[in-house]
Amino acid sequence: MANINIDSIKERTFDAIVIGSGISGGWAAKEFCEKGLRTLVLERGRDVKHVKDYPTTNMYPYEFEHRLEMPYEDKQKNPIANRCYAYREDSAHFFVKDDEHPYIQEKEFDWIRGYQVGGKSLLWARQVQRWSDFDFEGPARDGFAVDWPIRYRDLAPWYDHVERFIGVAGNRDGVAELPDGDFLPAYPLNAVENHFKRVVASKYDNRHVISARCAHLSQPAPIHLEQGRVQCQNRVLCQRGCPFGGYFSSNASTLPWAEKTGNMTLRPFSVVESIIYDEQKGKAVGVRVIDTNTKEAIDFYSRVIFVNASALNSNLILLNSISNRFANGLGNDNGLLGKYIAFHSYTAVITGEYDGELAYRTDGRNPAGGGYIPRFRNVYRQETDFLRGWAATFNASRNPSTDTSGVGVSLKNRLLHSKLGNWRVGSHMMAETIPKESNKVWLDTAKKDQWGVPLLHIDVAYDDNDWKIRADYFEQMTAMFEAAGFQNVKTRNDDRRPGNDIHEMGGARMGHDPKTSLLNKWNQLHSCENVFVTDGACMTSTATQNPSLTYMALTARAVDYAFTLMKKGVL
Amino acid sequence: MQRRTALKQLFFIAGGIVLFPSCWGRANKASIALRKLHINAEQENLLAEIVESIIPETDSPGGRTLHLHLFVLKMIDDCHSEEDQQVFVQGLKDWDQEMNDTVGKSFLLASSDQRQSYLMDIEKDKAHPLSGFFMMTKRRAIQGYLNSAYVMKNKLIYELVPGRYNGYAKV
Repeated sequence: MANINIDSIKERTFDAIVIGSGISGGWAAKEFCEKGLRTLVLERGRDVKHVKDYPTTNMYPYEFEHRLEMPYEDKQKNPIANRCYAYREDSAHFFVKDDEHPYIQEKEFDWIRGYQVGGKSLLWARQVQRWSDFDFEGPARDGFAVDWPIRYRDLAPWYDHVERFIGVAGNRDGVAELPDGDFLPAYPLNAVENHFKRVVASKYDNRHVISARCAHLSQPAPIHLEQGRVQCQNRVLCQRGCPFGGYFSSNASTLPWAEKTGNMTLRPFSVVESIIYDEQKGKAVGVRVIDTNTKEAIDFYSRVIFVNASALNSNLILLNSISNRFANGLGNDNGLLGKYIAFHSYTAVITGEYDGELAYRTDGRNPAGGGYIPRFRNVYRQETDFLRGWAATFNASRNPSTDTSGVGVSLKNRLLHSKLGNWRVGSHMMAETIPKESNKVWLDTAKKDQWGVPLLHIDVAYDDNDWKIRADYFEQMTAMFEAAGFQNVKTRNDDRRPGNDIHEMGGARMGHDPKTSLLNKWNQLHSCENVFVTDGACMTSTATQNPSLTYMALTARAVDYAFTLMKKGVL
Repeated sequence: MQRRTALKQLFFIAGGIVLFPSCWGRANKASIALRKLHINAEQENLLAEIVESIIPETDSPGGRTLHLHLFVLKMIDDCHSEEDQQVFVQGLKDWDQEMNDTVGKSFLLASSDQRQSYLMDIEKDKAHPLSGFFMMTKRRAIQGYLNSAYVMKNKLIYELVPGRYNGYAKV
């Protein structure tokens, strides 16, 4: 008996455990496996194999029962998922259904989740921008949150490392607030996007319209071909999973790469209930998993643990990891775990028309989506009555407009011979939010999910700063649109709830001081040094950039550091 | 080939998707399986005629050939609220009575011109008792048409794999 038990424990023991297989977990897996460490990757959902498990990827619109529209019943049953722009008939199988995974909304919060191997990396918007020191220095300069324990120079080589592997299309724009990287050729702006770029450049000193930087293979390098990925084919059906591997996902890239080393054990259907802390050893020794098929609890062991469960679920796991030493959650000596949650405010849209550049239209599809305007407010100094600021998308399109009036032969003719109208232009705001102690998550003391894990309370809301930023966006973008000669300019409040931006961050923030932060500059828990958190939960502030690239860079950097400590025998 | 022909007779291809038939041999029911709507064969036929009048057969197929009326039924059945469904079913029930009252003829007996002008009257009059039914039907018929395999393969070609992007294509 004893031997069997020892063998069984041996089988369940690894060098490293990675909780989560999404965009950051996939990176932890790749980096550990490449360094020769036996790595267990735990995923709470089912497996999704690249290509094989993309059932809708090659379907034509007419092959979908409801032409991509979600049925009424599904909308009633899953209002949260249905509010996500990408939740449609071709991608619904990659989203969590509301009723299967409940949480408690203290205030309205749309928690969008993808519980499968690859997580939301299958569904993301693929926009990747580096942070600059204007972002890392923000909290210290403006007096909110705590000072980031790292600066751009700490992360720059890791941005390089990640960008080379995932493939990022972009220009070297020379904009200080959005550092250049190791790019593949950009997707060029179209006629009207370039017109707008020229107008903005001529009227404003420090405002830039650039080609959106995106994780697409505009021109694959050998490292991408080696992953089995080929050039993006401009389908822009990314949310279905891409058979070309044209955009970066864990499924197309990091996970198969890790698999190839022979060092990865991927275990789907494994909900992590908690991290096991050993009081004698004074460190974490493994994780407790609930097998979602058998409902059996199984313990796995390792020297280091990476928590990459997605921002709020990483908070949940830490909060649920209770021991004598940590009665309020793993690493939570200061009581700040689950607090200072922040996100991005996407609450504003502006649209217009343009009757210039009518000699042109677009042909094919642009996977980058168009242009990007980096934050220009309060960059070099505080200049407004709000903190921080906003970045924005900008895009122009010229699709035939279809006149659907009337009936009969004339209607049919109009449907089949629609005319090109004016260009349509649009932009949406991506604003920084300020982390606050009152924006927080915690565990319910009684209610549990079907695996016995406590339900998460989410208490997150906008504040006055967010509305001031929005007013500024409307004012400035309207002026910029009008300067460009756009007509029929309309601003619109996008009343989306927090969370619908799908950029939830914080709760286990990084910082210098164990009294005011959970993680150190290497993403290690201050008080449990073999546990690292490198997904959105680690974020001290949010900046305006799409965050995934930064999570990936932080993860690769943290794995490298953990490996160094393991070699030294410290971990 | 024979097998394919047989399959075509067993299922309805509405625009491109397969719709499953309702119970075999049951008289006076809609020809496709519906979950919520109660539609009989006459009503289905009337709907087919209305949809055909919206998108008629010309040198290319129209509503009836493309089974767009079945697509309309499918969408109303699956993608609309109960209130919408009530408006739809009631509209279909009231259609002939309404038309008799105003035109003095049922839709099926009316000439092509009479049908067209009747539909235009409804479209122009938002307060028309059949407006809700008609606009719902028209919207779904157009959606089904533009997204049909026929149109996407032959008329307004849908490219699954464009493989290019040009932001300065000459008009």
